[in-house]
Amino acid sequence: MNTPAVVPPPEQPDDISAHVPVQEPEPVRGVFGAVDALLREPTRVMHHLTTSTSAQLTATLLFIALAAFLLYGVVAGSFSGGTQLWAAPVKIAGGLLFAALICFPSLFIFGCLAGVYAGMREMAGIVAGLLAIMAVLLIGFAPIAWVFSQSTESVAAMGALHVTFGLVAFFFGTRFVSASFDRFRAESHAGKRVWMIIFLLVVLQMTTALRPILDTAPTLLPTEKKFFIAHWTDCINAPTKAETGDKK
Amino acid sequence: MNSEKHPSLLAEIPVLLRGEAEPIARWMQRWETRRVVFYIGVIALGAGAYGAAMGCWRAPLQATYVAVKFPLIILLTTFGNALLNGMFAPLLGLNLTVRQSILAILMSFTIASTILGALSPLLVFLVWNVPPLEPGQPIPQSTYLSIQLTQVAMIAFAGVSANLRLMQLLRRLSGSAQIARRVLFSWLAGNLFLGSQLSWILRPFIGSPFLKVEFLRSNAFQGNFFESVFNAIRELMR
Repeated sequence: MNTPAVVPPPEQPDDISAHVPVQEPEPVRGVFGAVDALLREPTRVMHHLTTSTSAQLTATLLFIALAAFLLYGVVAGSFSGGTQLWAAPVKIAGGLLFAALICFPSLFIFGCLAGVYAGMREMAGIVAGLLAIMAVLLIGFAPIAWVFSQSTESVAAMGALHVTFGLVAFFFGTRFVSASFDRFRAESHAGKRVWMIIFLLVVLQMTTALRPILDTAPTLLPTEKKFFIAHWTDCINAPTKAETGDKK
Repeated sequence: MNSEKHPSLLAEIPVLLRGEAEPIARWMQRWETRRVVFYIGVIALGAGAYGAAMGCWRAPLQATYVAVKFPLIILLTTFGNALLNGMFAPLLGLNLTVRQSILAILMSFTIASTILGALSPLLVFLVWNVPPLEPGQPIPQSTYLSIQLTQVAMIAFAGVSANLRLMQLLRRLSGSAQIARRVLFSWLAGNLFLGSQLSWILRPFIGSPFLKVEFLRSNAFQGNFFESVFNAIRELMR
């Protein structure tokens, strides 16, 4: 069973659903090992999600996601400062993890309907991998986000920037999900695509349900229910802080 | 999936969802009470969770009522039509016993209920993001319609997926796509006929802010679903 580690097949950026090497891949150790494996050798992560260490690996991936989302949240909250320095990280991390939790059962269903041979344990690992990749990429964007947050007063502009970063991170996260589906013998990808749209909509709506994240408000959570597109439209049409004479 | 002598029944759910022909056909050959009870339990839980999500927009009590009513409709339809469906199958060329017909339909409803149960957190999230359906609380027409359409889409998706799997099973058992189609359509026609009337009797599900929360409407046994559809069409044509 424990055979010497082999060099995995060369990276193929357009097709990361490469066939599994015959020999056992190297174990994924620690937080940095997991991040490295996610970015450079995702098939190693997928393999170890099927072994006895899958629970530990999933927990590590979730820890990476939580820590990175919290850190990114501090950067996002630095736009307004004050209460947002702790509220934004809690909302971003909590909101994303909660979105993944409520979307997880439907991913399992869509996976099974697509013929994926993965149980709940493996699916939990796939979701954790998705969140971890998203979180790590957002950390990569964090310095850019911080620079912009210190040099602009437009909530709409900062919101658009964070959403853009989030969408890029989401795109790479879903590549991991796609590759996992291929590895677990999915016969169809239609369900996976539908699920990704659902997850994206839930995440976008969660940012509105937990507002304000960038701006300030008298209450921690909103008193009015709004669809995220309506909220974005209101933000774009709202007067800027310069126009209202409000200082940061 | 391992097919041991006494596998965990929970492990059969992914097998049903994937539509694995061999194990499912094997389960069809023998009536096992524990399997039937398990399917009924999954229907109660899955459809019950979805029913609760449907009703929670109106009130927590409405959620409780619909959590009971939704699985009840499924189970009453299955067992109410059991004899009829059991007779249709051999008459249309598929040599199944009444018990096997019940088992096949229960499997299909188990798939649908599992899907609906998995989608119920999403429905609750959607309802959480709109104003509550309360007396005196104005709800935009677009909001009400989007909730309704979302529910229609979810139920339609669950129903289509479950019937696709049932079709695959019938095709394997009969060896003929034509026989499988005939049997499926006959079962669907009977189930839709009885199911729609049971839904009419057991209304409300989403509820109305203008009517109180109750398990059954006071006029539950007056009129029927098809009569109301006929009257609605007649009104439209005037």
